[in-house]
Amino acid sequence: MIDKIEKHSESILTYLAGKCEYADLRAEEISSERLSTSSRTTNPPEKSDSTGIAIRVLRNGSWGFAATSQVSEKNLKRMADLALEIAAASASVNSEKLELSELPAVTDEYSTPFEQDPFALSLSEKNDLLLGWEDLIYKTEGISSSSTFLDFRRIQKYFQATNGSKLRQTLMQCGAGVSCGMVMGHRERYERSFPTASGQFVTGGFEQIATFKIEENIERIASEALALKDAQECPSGEMTVILSPDLASLQIHESIGHPLELDRVFGSERNFSGTSFATPDKLGKLQYGSEIINLFSDPAFPGGLATYGYDDEGVKADRVPLLQKGVLVGYLSSRETAQRVGMASSAAARADGWGNVPLVRMTNLILEPGEQKFADMLSEVDEGIYIEGTSTWSIDDNREDFNLGGEVGWEIKGGKLGAMIKSPTYSGSTVDFWNKCDSVGHRDEWVLWGTPNCGKGEPGQNARTAQGAAYLRFRNVKVGA
Amino acid sequence: MISREDTRRLLQAGLDASKADQTEVVLIGEDLSLTRFAESQIHQNLYRSDTMIHVRAIKEKRIGIASTGRLNTEAVAAAAREALAIAELVPADEDFASLPGKADFRELKTFYQSTAEFSPTQRAEVVGKLVKACAEHKLKTAGAYRNYVETVGVMNSLGVDSFNQSTRAELSATVVGDSGNSGWGIAYSRDTNAIDVGELTEVAIDKALRSVNPVKLESGQYTVILEPAAVGQLLLFLAFMGFGGKTFYQHRSFMAGKIGEQITGEKITIVEDPLNPEIAGTPFDYEGVPRQQVPLVERGVAKGVVYNSYYANLAGVKSTGHALPPDNSYGPYPKHMTMAGGEHTLKEMVAATERGVYITHFWYVNFLNPMQTMVTGTTRDGTFLIENGEITSAVENMRMSQSILEAFSNATMLSKQRKLYPQYSVVMLVPAMKVDNFNLEALEG
Repeated sequence: MIDKIEKHSESILTYLAGKCEYADLRAEEISSERLSTSSRTTNPPEKSDSTGIAIRVLRNGSWGFAATSQVSEKNLKRMADLALEIAAASASVNSEKLELSELPAVTDEYSTPFEQDPFALSLSEKNDLLLGWEDLIYKTEGISSSSTFLDFRRIQKYFQATNGSKLRQTLMQCGAGVSCGMVMGHRERYERSFPTASGQFVTGGFEQIATFKIEENIERIASEALALKDAQECPSGEMTVILSPDLASLQIHESIGHPLELDRVFGSERNFSGTSFATPDKLGKLQYGSEIINLFSDPAFPGGLATYGYDDEGVKADRVPLLQKGVLVGYLSSRETAQRVGMASSAAARADGWGNVPLVRMTNLILEPGEQKFADMLSEVDEGIYIEGTSTWSIDDNREDFNLGGEVGWEIKGGKLGAMIKSPTYSGSTVDFWNKCDSVGHRDEWVLWGTPNCGKGEPGQNARTAQGAAYLRFRNVKVGA
Repeated sequence: MISREDTRRLLQAGLDASKADQTEVVLIGEDLSLTRFAESQIHQNLYRSDTMIHVRAIKEKRIGIASTGRLNTEAVAAAAREALAIAELVPADEDFASLPGKADFRELKTFYQSTAEFSPTQRAEVVGKLVKACAEHKLKTAGAYRNYVETVGVMNSLGVDSFNQSTRAELSATVVGDSGNSGWGIAYSRDTNAIDVGELTEVAIDKALRSVNPVKLESGQYTVILEPAAVGQLLLFLAFMGFGGKTFYQHRSFMAGKIGEQITGEKITIVEDPLNPEIAGTPFDYEGVPRQQVPLVERGVAKGVVYNSYYANLAGVKSTGHALPPDNSYGPYPKHMTMAGGEHTLKEMVAATERGVYITHFWYVNFLNPMQTMVTGTTRDGTFLIENGEITSAVENMRMSQSILEAFSNATMLSKQRKLYPQYSVVMLVPAMKVDNFNLEALEG
């Protein structure tokens, strides 16, 4: 399909160049495969192919966009004309003309490096792997429900723009996970998951699945799921909290990643996903977190779920600092939003497939590792709670007040883990919370967590993002109800 | 927008090519025209046409699904062959009984040409009016105006041959002032001409103007008046947590083991009602089974859940016509819920409140404990203090952490007027509700 599009793209963009300030064309072929089991039964495996083309134009300072799954020369022209018509309608309301940050013309190709193509392996081989995980789960007596999955996606993209850029990319993404649990009466259900509630996702080939170490952890999480029925209720009060790396990843996602999306900062999501307190007047001034917090965006970081060569506006993936020594120094941005703060785009304009407009999305957010390993971090806590896994999350529409929870917790007493705690939750206000962080975990325990289901936009767009973190410790945090 | 003839031709190609014991071919098409605006400027404006065909093949109880977006008979035939190849590689599912057979369904008017043909210029005119009305009050607006045309065709080797085309129009808008004060409104209809832009604009502007200088309330239990959208958000989560046959069968639903028992207040009656003329649901599900009316909760008593053919077989009942698309593993789901209204007007409900909080809608609702129907989320875009039967001031947004069934048990008044509230692909018809002892916490931000 992409070869077919490439043949016609030049003439379409030449046609559009005479009618608008800027236009780009994006074609995508997305192949997906998902295998799953529920309580030892194989769910019907799903294989899917989605292809389509999108034309985006900037005309009289306003956007128009048209996309179709029916790829033909005739439809390409039809979408081009429709995008122009839509842009003209936008301009009829708009009092302001938008501009884009500079973009050099680039011709390039990028492919995810991988060793083993997951689509080339037989379904039965992959299904056997899942049923093997199910068998391991039920070795623990008392487990009454379980699920496992493998998820693979190959995305082939072609991007061409009136500035002269021509880009081809092939991205390969893999994910896997397990969960198990038990129901007690009709009031209580206890579950544990691994690597985390939504599984782990990375770019790469099938060889990555073994690195998740799922088999090695099944017995542990199954016994923890059972132990939860006798666990203590979550305590209430202010105390020291240590977050597991996957929960730290979720905390970064919700309270650093989303607030630093520059379109949100400018109000683009006001009617749906909300706004952000992190306005440009705070750039370079706001002590967002404590001095040990250093975080950057890097879609070129190897192996992350959001690792790519170029974003969906043709901006080259690169590292952009967001927090340095805890101070707000940058944003996730697109060409349109970056221009408004006089910066270069951070290559974070990403569309969910061919049929969506690129929005500012999270990339790989890398929290730089610190000095302490978990055991050392723990040894310095007289009284507190350690929380592991992700089970609930909610944050207000300005990204300040949050409430998050894990699958399991343990009380900390005298520098050691004590009794197990069920449904642990904690809450706080973003800036206050991050300034309470007094220890960032060590490189040896650092994981780049893939998030396959980040929602934003109308119509809803699903982005695949990643957040890298080890253990984090915070002092004086509100725990429980 | 694909025609009935083209749909049947493609689906038949899948059936013809399949050598499976049973085969189902489903076409799902969506043409979306959307104008999104923020800061009183149109910033996203799009048309998208997407169609997928899913083939489910069953051989000796082994099931495979393959999907394609290529709309030609060769591609559908290839998908049918692939679905069978997948089925042959996986173990048999002994719980699978059969695809559903042919059944008649009742046609409702689900398609409006007005919606299908609504142009970008017409949408821009609506947004322009909204922008102008807001500017007169020195306010700005953000929102989305969507018009959908949806096509569903289902054929299977047992004779199911169903086709429906429907339209949906939805306008939502947030109105914002300089101090961050905001108001919000939403309107939904299958007929875009029935969207009352004037009423929505008036309500959202009024709320934004009233939202200045909010007071901060202490955390505690409050009497609240929930507008229909807020009730709808709670109802949607209640459905996620328990009205589907899969979670019910797996004992992961709060309804499990409770059928016939009082689970919430006597004022609460919830029906999955696709045949309700105001909702006008699509007449069949994604297996081609006619959608049935299903009582879920009647006067607070748990009555039932919805089924697709797979979980209906496991439960020993008939499918209620609530299958989701073949590539969705969530299980059956109610997409057209109604909640019975009461006798009061919203004004009477406010007048009958000595001290309480008026809530327009919630944001980022998420589960805390699904078995206990516990959720959390924050209020948004129009939260007010009621004192002595009148709204006296705006209130800073608050976080609710609340069992939904407990809240519904504490419902003391319901509005007679109900409103259509769309959320994702679900449409609900819900009243406003007055609830005592509702948990609200002051935000920490």
